[in-house]
Amino acid sequence: MNCRECAEHLYEYLDRELTPELERELRAHLDECPPCGEHHDFEALFLKFVRARCRAQGAPPELRRRILRELFEE
Amino acid sequence: MPAPTPPAPVDEKRASFEREALVHLDSLYRVAQRLTGNAADADDLVQETMLKAYRSWDQYTKGTNAKGWLLTILRNSFINEYRRRTRHPESVDIDAIEPFAVFQDVQEEDPQGAFFDRIVDDEVLRAIDTLPETFRETVVLSDVEGLSYQEIARILKVPVGTVKSRLFRARQMLQRKLYDYAVGMGYIKGSKP
Ligand SMILES: [Zn+2]
Repeated sequence: MNCRECAEHLYEYLDRELTPELERELRAHLDECPPCGEHHDFEALFLKFVRARCRAQGAPPELRRRILRELFEE
Repeated sequence: MPAPTPPAPVDEKRASFEREALVHLDSLYRVAQRLTGNAADADDLVQETMLKAYRSWDQYTKGTNAKGWLLTILRNSFINEYRRRTRHPESVDIDAIEPFAVFQDVQEEDPQGAFFDRIVDDEVLRAIDTLPETFRETVVLSDVEGLSYQEIARILKVPVGTVKSRLFRARQMLQRKLYDYAVGMGYIKGSKP
């Protein structure tokens, strides 16, 4: 696998969506190519960052109560 | 000894709904917020989704993918009833959007992406909200809610390849927005003149 292909499949790799064979090839490339390794770490950090920033908020308690009332208390 | 009385069907329905559907309330709410863009519509959309889901709970095969099933109901409701009066649906020419590579810009100055740490929750949500709808919903289902490409494809009714390419573009666009913001705030110098 070359650097271009590696960049192309990087997200699928991080999302665990590659076939086992491509996954092995990509991992092998990351091991032997420091710039792609850095790129991988950067994208991995970015995805973790987005998830952490966006999951802080849940449904407001009032909405939960409203739904429970509506569903179960007629 | 008499056999224990089986639970009334209503209790059973309620119990399984609580166990399998209501546990996803936070996820539904987060997705609804990003789709509608405001708290009041998000509330209504989630409530409506839960009511519809409870009414058709018998059609859901217990123990399968409740989250995907609920998100499908939520998205259909959104398209049918909310989209028209909240945001305008955009058609996006995917090929017209330049692929950005933020990493190339920060490679020298901040390859570890330390500038991300300084960007707060609200700013990230705001950046997601400015993405075109097709990209926004894909990125939320994947990166916030952790759904697989296959699950997203099913909810959005598009091929898996489309999910893949949208996700690629959406992430690059989002990165670019956050990067520009970080440069604007002076968190990072930026490599562009
Ligand atoms: Zn490489």
